[in-house]
Amino acid sequence: MSAGFEFFLHAAPWPQRLGMRVLMALARRPRGAALLERSPLAHQTATSLLGMSRYDDPARARELGWDATAVAVRGRELRRVEGRP
Amino acid sequence: MTRVLEADVCVVGAGAGGAVVAAELAEGGARVVLLEQGPAHDPDGFSARPPEMMAKLYRDAGQTATLGKPPILLPLGRGLGGTTLVNSGTCFRTPAHVLERWSREFELELDEPTLAPCFERVEAALSVAEVDPGLAGANAAVARRGAERLGWSHGYLRRNARGCVGSGVCAFGCPTSAKQHTGITYVPRARAAGAQLLTGADVRRVLTRGGRVVGVLARVGGERRASLEVRAPSVVLACGTIHTPVLLARSGVADASGQLGRNLALHPATAAFALMEEDVNMARGVPQSFYVDEFAGEGIMFEGVAGPPAYAAMSLPLSGEEHRRAMASYRSLAQFGLMVSDASRGVVRSLGGRPLIRYDLCDADLAKFRHGLVRLRELFLAAGAREVYLPLPPGVEPERAGARDLKLMAFHPLGTARADGRPGRGVTDGELAVRGVRGLYLADGSVVPSALGVNPQLTIMALATRLAFNLLERTLPAPARTDNEELPCPS
Repeated sequence: MSAGFEFFLHAAPWPQRLGMRVLMALARRPRGAALLERSPLAHQTATSLLGMSRYDDPARARELGWDATAVAVRGRELRRVEGRP
Repeated sequence: MTRVLEADVCVVGAGAGGAVVAAELAEGGARVVLLEQGPAHDPDGFSARPPEMMAKLYRDAGQTATLGKPPILLPLGRGLGGTTLVNSGTCFRTPAHVLERWSREFELELDEPTLAPCFERVEAALSVAEVDPGLAGANAAVARRGAERLGWSHGYLRRNARGCVGSGVCAFGCPTSAKQHTGITYVPRARAAGAQLLTGADVRRVLTRGGRVVGVLARVGGERRASLEVRAPSVVLACGTIHTPVLLARSGVADASGQLGRNLALHPATAAFALMEEDVNMARGVPQSFYVDEFAGEGIMFEGVAGPPAYAAMSLPLSGEEHRRAMASYRSLAQFGLMVSDASRGVVRSLGGRPLIRYDLCDADLAKFRHGLVRLRELFLAAGAREVYLPLPPGVEPERAGARDLKLMAFHPLGTARADGRPGRGVTDGELAVRGVRGLYLADGSVVPSALGVNPQLTIMALATRLAFNLLERTLPAPARTDNEELPCPS
């Protein structure tokens, strides 16, 4: 789990944080995943969270053509060159 | 110990409404104190990584949610700029038919000629212009192709951006500061004109005496919890549609209308994905650059949405192996959003000082989603999609979807302290003054009396501009002409 994703979980209000952690823990275990499949909404939420965590990984995102560091660096450079706030 | 500041006007909240009021008042010569609960974000810290930026830029990491059928995620920005910091930058004027409705139902004198100078002033301040098709991205090209083949009304959106290079992360902090949110436009103007700005100021109460406002009391200084009292004969609250009614209730402001916290409209929204033959690479270009308004008359609006892989993985309405397979084809995924001009109405109440939001989707709005999802699938198929992923559980067709089947988000809360020109009927009157408390005004989405059917930031800013000039008892100066051309309104 990336530091950014951990930061995201930590910043959420405690009921949501607890819910998200439980869903992710269930989704990672075979029996938990089987349980989640009984509830499409819970299953999809757990998949979404795991997916967000998985694709926040810079190496994995780069494989799909997204380089967040390059985007951020280009932004900083443009702001500096053009004197933007 | 309580620190005391004195001002002519204290403005609470530096988002779409508050920043505009503060700047216009300060430039008009008023002594202004502007209080913002969130921080001033440094764009050097904008990493273009969705989870980290949601934690930084959104209230409660973007996890504000409604209770009801179905629950709806309602992300709100926090910091200088408020939600303008994290929105897509889409700018629509209030549609004429909405203004006519406000006049008819709420006796508000807000017709097009009255508001036109306010809109022109805001659009000039924010550099509002139509998206350059070269920056719109392949995601918009997919929707455009589908709309053209179906003969549906469509167009490029107007946005408040200057020098945009299509970084693809408007909702996660613009790394180039191209998006002209109020934190980098109106707030600097307010400060340059002498307004005193305090961030990290959590306003706890509006202070009143003998039926008139005398200031506000805030907590400042983070952990140290120092107190700040701002003494001012006029106070403008702009904490947003969700938090303004909570602050008013906490302050014991009498609500003779009985409407405080009620009439919440949200513009509930959802989005569908499509697997295309071509390379879409949805994070390249302006995420919300294109709209299809063929069904706007029915309260259904399609607008672009897109983002980097972590965002797409979070939004993709699939589970397990299907989700993994679709994400492996991320570069061929297109996404488009569906927003409903809602007839449903919710309620905001305070529970332990935090807002508790109740909102149930009514049958009429459910029908709009059913119809809209059918049409959105049609749009993608006309564009040549191999597969369309609708935001519904497996096996549920849109025509038979129930409210609990919908995966909804909302970005435009409105109406919890709505303006009403009829005596005793609204929380605020037609001049946005809170009834029953002299000197207290509102300048955020809470005063907007109904759903708009379009993104509301320009409406909120125009109303805030009008309020500021009314408080200054001045007429708006004639606008300096810009390159603004014909203005889009949904058909």
